Amino acid sequence: MSDVGYVVAGWSITGAVLLGYWLWLVRRTRRAERLDGDA
Amino acid sequence: MTLLKPAMGRAIGWAALGALVVLALFGLWGAPPDAVQGDAQRLMYLHVPAAWVAYLAFGVTAAASGLWLWPRTRSMVWDRIAGASAELGVVFTALTLVLGSLWGRPVWGVWWAWDARLVTTAVLLFLYLGYLALRRVPAAPEARAKRCAIAALVAFVDVPIVHFSVTWWRTLHQDATVFDPALKAHIHGVMAFTLWFGVLAFTLVYVSLLDRRYRLAALEEDLDARELEQAIAERVAGAGTPAPRDREEVGVV
Repeated sequence: MSDVGYVVAGWSITGAVLLGYWLWLVRRTRRAERLDGDA
Repeated sequence: MTLLKPAMGRAIGWAALGALVVLALFGLWGAPPDAVQGDAQRLMYLHVPAAWVAYLAFGVTAAASGLWLWPRTRSMVWDRIAGASAELGVVFTALTLVLGSLWGRPVWGVWWAWDARLVTTAVLLFLYLGYLALRRVPAAPEARAKRCAIAALVAFVDVPIVHFSVTWWRTLHQDATVFDPALKAHIHGVMAFTLWFGVLAFTLVYVSLLDRRYRLAALEEDLDARELEQAIAERVAGAGTPAPRDREEVGVV
């Protein structure tokens, strides 16, 4: 793999991790809010 | 139940997103390739900020744990901040290791080396994974907060060891990039700007995610407490009525 390949992989993984964690937080928060409203 | 006011939280979230876009533009195109390492050095604009945020997150966890242990400032708010920040620290430490590995392969020729900086960073990751596991062990909130606060302060001892490992031992990992022990800068121009901007962007991402993670922790604690109260109320209400088996036994007698 070329240097550019490692760079693209690194930036892609970072983007995916940050986006994935943010989406996980949003989904869990919405679920908790829904359960909080039901109670 | 949030750390920041909702408008402030939204503003920091958008600022973090904008800063990441600008960082990508500078990190991938604006900054020149390194004279020695070529384009592979562009991973530094993510690797160093991710490591900085990991230090920051564990520092916040240690400070919040200390504030929980101090009787005058004891509040479950500090326990929630400690847990939320530790989780973010784990995410950014794992990211630091993955990015370092991707950078090491073209520059060092290996994905991993048993080097002091790498090993102490891996130890840091496992220490805080243990801390997060400890937070999930069922216990009364106060007891859990106390043992986790002590564990967080013990785990934080590894942070300065990670940071100074490149100074204390001969390592494959390079010395400090930004400042040496005499605070002399080793990076200049657009490259320095991009690196500092990366630190700012990742710090904004950390603050935004911490705010959201804190809110989630508060909501889940509230739900757990309510479920417990409901279970106790049901048990107490059920205690007044004999169970079917008890009624049979009463009939026999």
